[in-house]
Amino acid sequence: MSDYQATNAASSGISVPKKNLKALMRRSDKPGLIWLAQWAAFLLITGYGVYLSIGTVWHWPAMFLYGIFLTVPSYALSHECAHGSAFRTRGLNEALLWISSVLYYEEPNHRRFAHARHHTYTWIEGKDAQMPFATPMNFKGWLLEITGWALYVYETRLFIRNALGKFDAEVLDYTPASELGKLKWGARICLAIYAALIGMAAVGIMWPLWFIIIPRLLGAPVMLLFTLIQHVEMQENDVNICKSTRSFSSNWLGRFLYMNMNFHIEHHLYPMVPFHQLESLNAEIKDQIPQPDPGFIRTNLEVLQVVWRRSMGGSTQAASIRQAPHMINTPEVQEMS
Amino acid sequence: MTNWVLACDTAEIDEEDLIRFDHEDKTYAIYNTDNGFFATAGYCTHEVQHLEDGLVIGNVIECPLHQGRFEISSGKALSAPVCEDLVTFPVKVEGDQVYIQIV
Ligand code: FES
Repeated sequence: MSDYQATNAASSGISVPKKNLKALMRRSDKPGLIWLAQWAAFLLITGYGVYLSIGTVWHWPAMFLYGIFLTVPSYALSHECAHGSAFRTRGLNEALLWISSVLYYEEPNHRRFAHARHHTYTWIEGKDAQMPFATPMNFKGWLLEITGWALYVYETRLFIRNALGKFDAEVLDYTPASELGKLKWGARICLAIYAALIGMAAVGIMWPLWFIIIPRLLGAPVMLLFTLIQHVEMQENDVNICKSTRSFSSNWLGRFLYMNMNFHIEHHLYPMVPFHQLESLNAEIKDQIPQPDPGFIRTNLEVLQVVWRRSMGGSTQAASIRQAPHMINTPEVQEMS
Repeated sequence: MTNWVLACDTAEIDEEDLIRFDHEDKTYAIYNTDNGFFATAGYCTHEVQHLEDGLVIGNVIECPLHQGRFEISSGKALSAPVCEDLVTFPVKVEGDQVYIQIV
């Protein structure tokens, strides 16, 4: 593969002295276990709110709040475990990859291989296995993405096809042949779990509905707003991570929910660095990479404004977030051309 | 026919680390571990990524691109996404020089 160039620090012209990088890459169980304990505490507290609110008008807001704490960390943990860097102990990574991926709605083996390909070819059209929407994005695409509709359609189809052993060409491309059996059985097990949860609700056992299914659906838009801003409006088809990827500022809650993946440029440059070291990695390379965009809410509001105006034919210049030049379109420019 | 080739000085590889060694048209990875020096093929068997920026943890090398792991001494693939073993090469240290045996 002579034209092969992975999208990472080397292809982005970023460097860190090897000794410093080795220190940052070091694996540990402790930060992951502390994070897990905090997650459990948040789930217990907000889950107790769901329990207390059953039969009241507060039930849906309580499930939404609990759903945020269920869904966003599920995604983040599944991601970190797919990298094998959340914990030093491999068994912990593997067990939690399964639990979190099932909650997040992706078969764990597929999660790992598709995400590996996303790192090899970040935001390269036709090669990145996790490039979920057409770019530049319009309002319809935004809606399909953040409601979770696009994810549910894509994953449901994949679950069924993989369970039947009818693998898509792109799945065959990024999955080693020896692992296809695991994909097939993984999909079958996941479908059985989902069928059991729905079946329990159907026969009147309500806890899966109140504590898993509905909160997972309600929390999805928040999870997807986090994932959306990682690459939306950025440059496609460029091996430079600093152009294709966005980091954004975050308060402690956002960092906790998303396991520090607001440091997203940093993560793509050095995927070996575990979540708990990304802030230190940022300190090491911040002179070499772009400033982070504003926080989760402001970045998402600007993205929403841009995609809405794009659909209406207006200017797509965002107020402050980074955009690839070809994403920016003003009516004046159109008239002149 | 086998052939011992001078790869590097022992001091060139930090403890618990590896370096890249290119010879003729092949690329190797030379490791300094707690159990001595080892050599494997230089590229990961998953996708085309050199292991030189990887992380050595005891007798394990973790690939820098997707964190697949191999046992250094045997080349055995330990964790997905790597599934295929790495080819290994005999190593000898003479004085402060590391030699690898290539076919
Ligand atoms: S290239 Fe080494 S794990 Fe993917």
